Amino acid sequence: MKGHELSETAIAGTLAEAGDVWAPHRSLLGWVASVDHKQIGIMYMVAALAFFGLGGIEALLLRIQLAVPHNNFLTPETFNELFTMHGTTMIFLVAMPLLTGFTVYMVPLMIGARDMAFPRLNAMSFWLQVFGGVMLYFSFFARGAPNAGWFSYAPLSESAYSFGSAQDYWILSLLVMGIGTVAGAINVIATVATLRAPGMTMRRLPLFVWMTFVNSFLMLMALPILNAALVMLLIDRTLHAHFFTPATGGSAILWQHYFWGFGHPEVYIVILPAFGIISEVIPVFSRKPIFGYEFVAASTVAIAFLSFAVWAHHMFAVGLSDTFNLFFAFASMSIAVPTGVKIFNWTATLYGGRLRFTTAMMFALAFLVMFTVGGLSGVSFAVVPIDWQLTDTYYLVAHLHYVFFGGTVLASFAGIYYWFPKLTGRMLSERLGRWHFWLTFVGLNLTFFVQHLLGMMGMPRRVFTYPDLPYWGALNMLSTVGAFVLLAAVLVFAWNLVFSLKHGEAAGDNPWEAWTLEWATSSPPPVDNFTRVPPVRGRRPLWDLAHPELADELRSRAA
Amino acid sequence: MRALDTLNPASPLAAAITKLFVAVLLVLGFIFALVAVLVVVAIVRYGRRPADELPNQIFGSDRLEIVWTAVPIFLLAVIFVFTVRVMHAANPSPASRAPDLLVVGHQWWWEVNYLKSGVVTANELHLPVGQRVLIRLESADVIHDFWVPRLGRKLDAVPGHPGYLWLEADRPGVYLGACAEFCGAEHAWMRFEVVAQPQAEFAAWQQAQLAVAPTPKSGKALAGMKLFAARTCVNCHRLAGTAADQRVGPDLTHLASRRMLAGGAVVNTPATLAQWLKNPDSIKPGSHMPNFQLSDAEVAELVAYLEGAK
Amino acid sequence: MLSRGKLAMALFIVSEANFFALLIIAYAYYHALDSSGANGAGALDVVTTLRYSLCLFASSATLWVAERNLRRQEYRGLIYWLLATIALGAIFLYGQGREYARLFSSGITISRNLFGTTFFTLTGFHGLHVFLGLSALATLFWYAVRGRLRQHQTEAVEAVGLYWHFVDAVWVVIFGVVYLGSLL
Repeated sequence: MKGHELSETAIAGTLAEAGDVWAPHRSLLGWVASVDHKQIGIMYMVAALAFFGLGGIEALLLRIQLAVPHNNFLTPETFNELFTMHGTTMIFLVAMPLLTGFTVYMVPLMIGARDMAFPRLNAMSFWLQVFGGVMLYFSFFARGAPNAGWFSYAPLSESAYSFGSAQDYWILSLLVMGIGTVAGAINVIATVATLRAPGMTMRRLPLFVWMTFVNSFLMLMALPILNAALVMLLIDRTLHAHFFTPATGGSAILWQHYFWGFGHPEVYIVILPAFGIISEVIPVFSRKPIFGYEFVAASTVAIAFLSFAVWAHHMFAVGLSDTFNLFFAFASMSIAVPTGVKIFNWTATLYGGRLRFTTAMMFALAFLVMFTVGGLSGVSFAVVPIDWQLTDTYYLVAHLHYVFFGGTVLASFAGIYYWFPKLTGRMLSERLGRWHFWLTFVGLNLTFFVQHLLGMMGMPRRVFTYPDLPYWGALNMLSTVGAFVLLAAVLVFAWNLVFSLKHGEAAGDNPWEAWTLEWATSSPPPVDNFTRVPPVRGRRPLWDLAHPELADELRSRAA
Repeated sequence: MRALDTLNPASPLAAAITKLFVAVLLVLGFIFALVAVLVVVAIVRYGRRPADELPNQIFGSDRLEIVWTAVPIFLLAVIFVFTVRVMHAANPSPASRAPDLLVVGHQWWWEVNYLKSGVVTANELHLPVGQRVLIRLESADVIHDFWVPRLGRKLDAVPGHPGYLWLEADRPGVYLGACAEFCGAEHAWMRFEVVAQPQAEFAAWQQAQLAVAPTPKSGKALAGMKLFAARTCVNCHRLAGTAADQRVGPDLTHLASRRMLAGGAVVNTPATLAQWLKNPDSIKPGSHMPNFQLSDAEVAELVAYLEGAK
Repeated sequence: MLSRGKLAMALFIVSEANFFALLIIAYAYYHALDSSGANGAGALDVVTTLRYSLCLFASSATLWVAERNLRRQEYRGLIYWLLATIALGAIFLYGQGREYARLFSSGITISRNLFGTTFFTLTGFHGLHVFLGLSALATLFWYAVRGRLRQHQTEAVEAVGLYWHFVDAVWVVIFGVVYLGSLL
């Protein structure tokens, strides 16, 4: 009892001291100058969704070119720029900032804090992100966008084969964004380590917070690897050095080791927060706690460690030794186990529950199945000889889109439908949400399932066109149709966002009857987040308050 | 089914992979079906209950955690064992065997050298049926990848890091190959063909490839020969029996014998060859072949010359 | 429990350590492939660089003394020992500059060969980090001189201290791998 009474007066006291400094202002300058995690979080999400539109347009253009064989809608150079920008945009300008937006908005609220540990650093990270994105897209107006693929293999990305400054834009923008990301990771770790409300032990953290906390360590360790590779490539290109130029003694393979040393943890960086969202949404809409909290949390740590041991599964076709390949095959198969544990725990959470099919829940349920498809095709790639046939083909393109779209994007949609009421005080339309959902589900599968078959037929990836071989044209056409279904889905979604911002139903504090601390304050929260942080004696503080006789902590004494 | 090249092997090397792939797909398919069924059943069963009822608050089950950790571990262990076996079957060590072929990837064509007979060609590789040949794979510029799905694994051609690849076809046929590592503007048209022939036909092909084309005595072909030398073609191409001996561009000695042109972009006919010479960008935009601004008459002469050796 | 500021610095150091590790790996990998000779590691002046390195290592000690002075409210001592730290760090950078000049004049540059590429990249980034550290120390020195660095503000000095000790530690590794490694 003493705990939360003290905190009430303490908060009132600090509010008086803080005065207007931390108050967000509604003007444009107010947003630009803001150091409030809620405004910064929203800005991250808005920027990410804008780039999602750009990346999506790039994808549509690619799919139009690929709809029929021998097409000349796009020149090869433009096609190569577009697929490079599509990949780079979706990973660095959409997935990462969108998930970061959720993180910086929600983590302080979920732990009962007033803001991040370093609000100004938070703002710096965001503006570095924006600057990097603008710089990358500026390349279209300069002498051309980067066109060596989102992982820019050397020596193709070296000055002998990539003329002009396009590649340098890619390097510099990623460097700038990488610095912001590391700063953001430091901020999240410091926030979770030092600003938890009384009673919120590490073992009581909401799983979203736990996952983003672990994820921050991944970022801390992985982004420097990318930064090192990027500066080496930049030095090669601008100072005529030899890191990755085989013709002068450098090693093309070293680039691959370094890039994938970052690149593989990176894909976990864009999925762990998504796992966190699913871990919040499914229990709330099943009206039960997550099944196996400790195992979901522990498997996250296992994935984090293992993610640094699997990078060379991207290099099985390079021709390195069997022993080398087998080590990475073993590690890659191993990482499937903790991932599977999560899927099973989420599914088990549904059993015995009372399911509420809100749009958020529908996206979460679709995630379970779609991410599994992607995860399983990933397991097939761990089998080295299968990889020898199917890597660098459309089977791989299918795999990566099932995990990125079927995973990260679906989970992000779930998160948006779940937390939009908290951010804005209004509900998204469930009717439009259903249209968004079904168009997405159909579009996702139509676009990407057939690509497994195209890969198995021998279609390599990153080809601007292809010969008129049996079924290649038909399957590509189906995939293109699917892409347009996804366009329709995104348009419905955009309309839902815009419409609901103005006319959505009022949300109230806790429209979903959820249990974590962000629902214990108004929608949107006040500047200081909480006037009173509820007592935290378990993993579901609001559940404990609403059902004192069924409080979580009682169970652990009984069990 | 037959269009799925990776499931339609024409080589023991590819067949080993196909078997494993089918088995793994079945296991993965089973797991997918399990998850999908579990989710759908949950939706149906627990979606119908009144949503405001309070369900039993279940926190977990250690026993289930053990099961769904142990079973995947076991399945993966089995898959791992087969992975090791098939790796050796599909990609046996070359030991100290000398390679039969040297294949070099260029932007955007494949140079093929038969080390024992001395045949040099481009983009079309012939094999005697049933014989396993060892390819030494190199790159002259950026990373490429040699892949014939019906015959086996793919291997990157990494500059500065040569590799070895076995190739064998167990039945006659034309097997389509592609470059499978993005290598720049015309990566899409760096396709090639592997033609597997019975031993006698292969020997005949080899003989024909070794033959030097007779020097034309008159007419368009003679004019073409002079043009070939005068217009710097010799600076990039090799034509056996002449002074032209460069490897910057494909060997043209028996250009006329090949089925495809420009890395698979078009079928090889005098008309397409004429189009290529007139304006390479119209077939393969961005290719390193310059546009020499040849007149139609000059193009006709060159075509007559190059069509001379089959 | 580390304070927020020191925790952040410690995490930052972890990320930078990773960054340097990769530059060191690149150096070591290419060194193993194609090591010394007149244009390689054989051109390095180990003894002179050792002298300048000792200055850098000493600057860690002087900074430690400065921190102690601050904790004990010995503000004059703080100012002198901070100044000593900056001076020693600057001498180290001067030494690096001389080594670079000497190498350039023998034609060894970043584009000359793999030794040049990896050596200048690695030591260049280290030098950059020393320079940034000196800037941070100079800022602290300025605050101290103005009388605005007080006993309860040790966190900032300790955080910069962590960074400076890290930069030193990285040099220990670089000196070992590059300079001592060149003698093998």
